[in-house]
Amino acid sequence: MSAQYDLIVVGGGHAGTEAAAAAARMGARTLLITMSLEAIGRMSCNPAIGGIGKGHIVREIDAMGGIMGRVTDDAGLQFRMLNRRKGPAVWGPRAQCDRVLYATGVRQALESIDGLYMRADMVMSVQVESGRIAGVTTRLGQEISAPCVILTNGTFMNGVIHVGRRQFGGGRMGERQSTGLTACLHELGFESGRLKTGTPPRVDGRTLDYEVLQEQRGDPEPSPFSYMTDVLPDRQLSCHLAWTSPSVHNVLRQGFSESPMFAGRIQGQGPRYCPSIEDKLDRFASKDRHQLFLEPEGWKTHEVYVNGFSTSLPEETQLQALRCVPGLEQVHMLRPGYAIEYDYFPPYQLRYSLETKRIEGLFFAGQINGTTGYEEAAAQGLMAGINAVRRLSRSDPVILRRSEAYIGVLIDDLIAKGTEEPYRMFTSRAEHRMLLRQDNADLRLTERAYKLGVASAARYERMETKRQAIQATLDNLGRTKLKPGAVNSYLQSAQTTPITSPMRADRLARRPQVSLQALLESARVSNDVLVPSQGMERVADLAEIELKYAGYVARQKDEVRRLARMENWQIPRTFDYAELTNISMEAREKLSRIRPETLGQASRISGVSPADISVLMVLLRANVSRETFSESAHG
Amino acid sequence: MTSSDTIAAIATARGQAALAIVRMSGPKAVDVATSCFKGNDLREAASHSAHVGLWEDADGTQSDRVVVTVFRGPNSSTGEDIVEVTCHGGDYVTGLILTSMVRKGARMARPGEFTQRAFLNGKLDLAQAEAVADLIDATSSRAHRTSVAALEGHYSKLLDRVRASLLQLCALAELEIDFAEEDVEFADRSELKSAVSSTFGLVRTLLDSCKLGEFVREGVRAVIAGRPNAGKSTLLNSLCARDRAIVSARPGTTRDTLEADVEIKGLRYRFIDTAGLRDTPDEIEQLGVDRAHKLLDRADMILYVYDLTLGLAPEELRILSKWADTPVILIGNKLDLIESRSQSDDHIMLSAIAGPEAMSSLKDQIAATATEWWSDPDVSRVVMNSRHQGHLDAAANYLTAALESIRSGMPPDLFTLDLRAAAQELGMITGAISNEEVLGAIFSRFCIGK
Repeated sequence: MSAQYDLIVVGGGHAGTEAAAAAARMGARTLLITMSLEAIGRMSCNPAIGGIGKGHIVREIDAMGGIMGRVTDDAGLQFRMLNRRKGPAVWGPRAQCDRVLYATGVRQALESIDGLYMRADMVMSVQVESGRIAGVTTRLGQEISAPCVILTNGTFMNGVIHVGRRQFGGGRMGERQSTGLTACLHELGFESGRLKTGTPPRVDGRTLDYEVLQEQRGDPEPSPFSYMTDVLPDRQLSCHLAWTSPSVHNVLRQGFSESPMFAGRIQGQGPRYCPSIEDKLDRFASKDRHQLFLEPEGWKTHEVYVNGFSTSLPEETQLQALRCVPGLEQVHMLRPGYAIEYDYFPPYQLRYSLETKRIEGLFFAGQINGTTGYEEAAAQGLMAGINAVRRLSRSDPVILRRSEAYIGVLIDDLIAKGTEEPYRMFTSRAEHRMLLRQDNADLRLTERAYKLGVASAARYERMETKRQAIQATLDNLGRTKLKPGAVNSYLQSAQTTPITSPMRADRLARRPQVSLQALLESARVSNDVLVPSQGMERVADLAEIELKYAGYVARQKDEVRRLARMENWQIPRTFDYAELTNISMEAREKLSRIRPETLGQASRISGVSPADISVLMVLLRANVSRETFSESAHG
Repeated sequence: MTSSDTIAAIATARGQAALAIVRMSGPKAVDVATSCFKGNDLREAASHSAHVGLWEDADGTQSDRVVVTVFRGPNSSTGEDIVEVTCHGGDYVTGLILTSMVRKGARMARPGEFTQRAFLNGKLDLAQAEAVADLIDATSSRAHRTSVAALEGHYSKLLDRVRASLLQLCALAELEIDFAEEDVEFADRSELKSAVSSTFGLVRTLLDSCKLGEFVREGVRAVIAGRPNAGKSTLLNSLCARDRAIVSARPGTTRDTLEADVEIKGLRYRFIDTAGLRDTPDEIEQLGVDRAHKLLDRADMILYVYDLTLGLAPEELRILSKWADTPVILIGNKLDLIESRSQSDDHIMLSAIAGPEAMSSLKDQIAATATEWWSDPDVSRVVMNSRHQGHLDAAANYLTAALESIRSGMPPDLFTLDLRAAAQELGMITGAISNEEVLGAIFSRFCIGK
């Protein structure tokens, strides 16, 4: 059977679409198979992209030429930069999106790529020939061959939906689950587990009392997700805040006896950071109110998403409780909240390229690896897409380091530490947080993505322009002396000490209270000093970050350098951990199961101590010397 | 391949000796030495050259007159820059020199680390390399044992408290960053400041409790215990060959504890005489008994004295079993008062009253027990303790920096850098504080999830 395609991507969610788009842009003939073409790019849960940590991921996906950032900018109906009053490393862009526009945008992005084909069908099994993937078999009876397959099945594999006592198969409300594939993967030797997640009810916005609710507006000067975006929608919609009360809690508690969670009908582990409302009441009984965000679902619909009210209680309880919330007394529920349980494949079964260790050419990406969130899924899809193409051309996989990208943190965490609950990104997971800012994702990643063929030349040029503009601006700032008369009134208004003699602009900009843009404007030198760039970012802000945080950035770079030797130290795939008789049992067992690719990765596996790493290091060194008698021993 | 950090360790065996060597290896070895050494400019020194001068402590006090030898990498035993400081022998001086190196930027070497570096830099062949693996194996299990011993009691409880306090502090700070949108009460700056201060206070307490050299200055803590009137004080007097303790035939004479330093075969011992172990109606004597228990908890070695005319009661062995992890030497006293001299292999029989001359077999036994305990110069409790001190010192510095940042209004992503660094230092002693653990602390305490 000759291969019809280079790559088959199974699933049309956020992972599948990024995977297919990346691979096709890199020149692979790619087939995306999804159960429903209409569901491509669908937001299953909240109509929002980004946030703290997650927003960083979207910026990185965009910097590498992915589609999520651009589609969000087009479909966004409210933009906010979270944490703006904190340091720039933890600023997190977030946007509410029009759900329909978002899905359409993704579909359009895919249709604009040559060599990307789509098919509506269900993949029942994968075909394997002597340890290598050969293709897939579909429900419609087609055998489609390809040397690489990426599975991005999300919550669809053996998905079971729970609402109160009712439970039924499904991948999302109103969409059927996918069956058969888990069994096929079990036969191939893969291990699977069950996870749980949930979603809140959707309500009709015309039945909300907006007079009572607290409005939350978007930023007056919205920031885009994509480095390629020059203009954002000129209008924004607001979200609204509501609060539960003891009477709401009483109603909810009456439904606890029918809760599939408390009754034990749900076995899968749910996320601690995204608990259902019943979980919140159960675990924080003393808290007498919980915050709800009412998020608009689109420009042309009244549908509203009740963020913070994820639940699998019986529908009647949901409605009755919502109607006790001030401002929601008359609410009409369009769709109840529900919990969903699904199969996932513990990610230690993957290499860092997201290729499975067991079957050559088979990749997993997205929620089936135990993550949650559109952004985490999309990031994996992108990397799986890139690495599938790298495999086709027999090139080394692309592995982002923890010090290079949140995407690197994500994949390393998944593989080295595994996950017991759906994994979500937080900035606190990134130890090199100062380096991984949302303002510099393009400076970190675009050049590499361009060379891989996944980011466009236009994107690369734009990044280069920005890099040069920042540098030239910094040079100018170092040459510009500001006189007391020109800046002291600004300095006083910014509540910092006035100067008595001329001072270099870059020195002044290092003061925490000083805004570079305002400083230069007050001295009427902004046009002389600031070198313009493209896009919506202000060069003054970018240069200011470079100046103010130089010391912290240098410190983190120093840490990264110290760790580099470990990170670069490859462990051969064939390494025999049975040789490690002098380390703890637990460490030996975990090392041989996870088979880390570098010493750095090995050192992050829980249960592996520094002493274990020393032994491993020595033995690795010894093995190298044994095998190659000459030059490589001093590597 | 060169390492980025500089390691330091005492290279010669412990105990009294004419000379000792403390050495450093790594890129900063020469710089660190330069900042402590008053003599020729070491930065100009040729490889394999020796220099006489004064070694000054971190605070500028003079430690010793020393010879410093500089070896430049790659032509050194580890392949890196090495500085060897030859000083006068004794654990006190070497301890001070080592501490000053750590304060100036070197770090305590792990067991076998010099050898490991030599190997990694191609200075050892394969057979030697495999021996290193064995060494690391051997030393890490031993290190584990000694560190567990060192971590017992008061010290480990304090460490747990510091860890918990720092974890909560990190959670408070990270909460504000990652969950800014959540409806939770964020710590205000004064709450954060007081959390940093109280964590810092705990670290200081720890530092005070494990000051480098306390152990060496005190010597091996050999606690003399036994029932009242077994002859403990007499034994102490004979061991130190002077009338240190008040001796009388009245049981319960020693109510406080008495100590005496004695050198045996090049190692210093602090013999500590205790009140006899018995329940007593006398309040003051009971205080002495309680104190004896505490001293036994901290003993490196127990000399248990019993009266041969009364024999060793099963009850006494039962009491002793409480300190099963501490080496015990059983001493049958008053040999002069009994007729039949049945020999026991593991008991020392003597007459303490006969004076210093009767002490030789006991001293041999003490030395043998200590040698077993101190056999590996790389892994002694002194090293463990000063290694801990290095990390605690660093943690204290990071906490000070964090406090300064919070005071000056820095955003949380900046002061968490210092909190994380402190956690990492502390983690070297107590086990790492991972990102997951911080998140776990947040989720268990705050209702997260919009």
